[in-house]
Amino acid sequence: MTETNSTSGGDMHDWGPLVSDLAARRERALGLGGEKFVERQRSLGKLTVRERLDLLLDPGTWVEYGMLADHMDAALSDRYLAADGAVTGVGEIDGRRVAVAAYDFTVMAGSMGAVGENKIRRLRHLSLSQRIPMVWLLDSAGARIQATSGSTFAGAGDLFREQVAMSGVVPMVAAMLGHCAAGTAYIPALADFVPMVKGTSSMALAGRHLVKAAVGEDVTEEEMGGSGVHTKISGVADLEVADDAECLRIVREYLSFFPQHNQERPPIRACADPVDRRVEEIYDIVPTAPRRAYDVRKVIRAVVDDGDFFAMKPEWAKNIVTGFARIGGEPVGIVANQPMVLGGALDVNAADKAARFVWLCDAFGISLVFLHDVPGFIVGSAVEKQGIIRHGAKMLFAVSEATVPKISVVMRKSYGAGYFVMNGLAYEADYIVSWPTAEIAVMGPDGAVNIIHRKTLDAVPEEERAQKRLELAEEIRANIDPYIAAGHAQLDDVIDPAETRHAIWRGLQIARDKRVDRPWRKHGVIPV
Amino acid sequence: MAEIRAEIAANVWQVRTEVGKAVAEGDEICILESMKMEIPVVTEVPGIVRELFVEPDQVIQEGDLIAIIDES
Repeated sequence: MTETNSTSGGDMHDWGPLVSDLAARRERALGLGGEKFVERQRSLGKLTVRERLDLLLDPGTWVEYGMLADHMDAALSDRYLAADGAVTGVGEIDGRRVAVAAYDFTVMAGSMGAVGENKIRRLRHLSLSQRIPMVWLLDSAGARIQATSGSTFAGAGDLFREQVAMSGVVPMVAAMLGHCAAGTAYIPALADFVPMVKGTSSMALAGRHLVKAAVGEDVTEEEMGGSGVHTKISGVADLEVADDAECLRIVREYLSFFPQHNQERPPIRACADPVDRRVEEIYDIVPTAPRRAYDVRKVIRAVVDDGDFFAMKPEWAKNIVTGFARIGGEPVGIVANQPMVLGGALDVNAADKAARFVWLCDAFGISLVFLHDVPGFIVGSAVEKQGIIRHGAKMLFAVSEATVPKISVVMRKSYGAGYFVMNGLAYEADYIVSWPTAEIAVMGPDGAVNIIHRKTLDAVPEEERAQKRLELAEEIRANIDPYIAAGHAQLDDVIDPAETRHAIWRGLQIARDKRVDRPWRKHGVIPV
Repeated sequence: MAEIRAEIAANVWQVRTEVGKAVAEGDEICILESMKMEIPVVTEVPGIVRELFVEPDQVIQEGDLIAIIDES
């Protein structure tokens, strides 16, 4: 017997047209903003949103949410906006899930439409409830002014508040792949990691047309908020990368150091580099003369697994080096003074950079390794006007708050508050060692002599004063000796520099199950 | 033309180049002495030293001009 449709009398299994209609709708969405705009995207040296997803994610893992979305806005009438300009979904990076929201510049300049933003809201909720990292691929002119210029704006803004709630729970990455203004510039501001593509990306609170109208300044997006500005001057972004492909590879690499969320341990990688490998290169890299500079990045690369170091903000506040590496396969965050720049002395930007990095590592259970060679905070009226006290306090606050394993190696100088903020003994250092070259004191002998012996020096005839100052400084220097600190057991050990890698690894093993309980509080009052 | 300015208040300890000399990226222009450290000031661009504004034992402030390099 043949079944017939009781109402129309037609074939009850007529799936063909339905399936091909669906296929056509999907096909249309995959066409993005149309050939003309896709061509323009390519001519700027940018990849399309779908090509970016292919590079970011493991093949075949993408599950899209809302591919069939459109603007649904009567004001835009029958225009079709593929996915409403925001491609969202969940895929995998190295076999681990990640929520992705990717703005499509070929669709109305990637502007933030109501439907697209609802999709991204759904992704934020999914990221948080599933406890998986969230990645934004940003290539968007910002709010879709055509749709939001009225006072319905009063209800907007949940995207930023929700990002704040996600902060420190799941890793957040905002990759800058185009010119982003206003709304899409605050997303990176609230994310943990912001790589920027050189030449094609920017972020600014307002695009150039609005800037011209509002303050009369005539600037390009690049001059105002290009990667040069944000990775070298403002410190808003973390890394400048050459192109889209490098950017997406960097996002994958960054996430490889992180757990999926703050209650998971960072992923341990198999490591062929022996943990007790002697690092004799240090003898050549570091001068024993305390005033001579060297490049601390060479020390870091010599010490960590396979020489791999992932620098964060390498072109900004270069007097401190921050970044990720592994020791014995375990991810660590490294904070190291850089004697090559400003003698390694700390200024407002260095303190800012280090504080943020320490907070980032602490939020996700990544152990910290501090390499000291710091003459202290820069002093003088210039830095006081910049607020060195509150910025210094911020770094002190971050290091004090951090409850992850904290290992310190005092390589050479570590003076004054510089010693404290670099995780001195009193800062719950789990293992603190020094090289024989270490100088730990409230200040260096050259400075101390002018305070301790000021009257003595004043009494000496002027022509003999310089010589006397040197002699007295040497007397003070004799008391600045790591074996005195070790004698008081204020250093856990003095090590041969070649043993640095092994010492750090041992410290990390000891502190593996560290637990610190603090008195309950809502939160501290953070110096910023 | 690239200007090289002091990033920190310091004493000039040594001047490592002279006017008219060719310099490569990363070459030392002078060495400052500040915060108990010898701080090398290097050029980030290659070129010819057009002008030098410092001499040994001079005290300079943050932002002071140290040299002008004609970029090559």
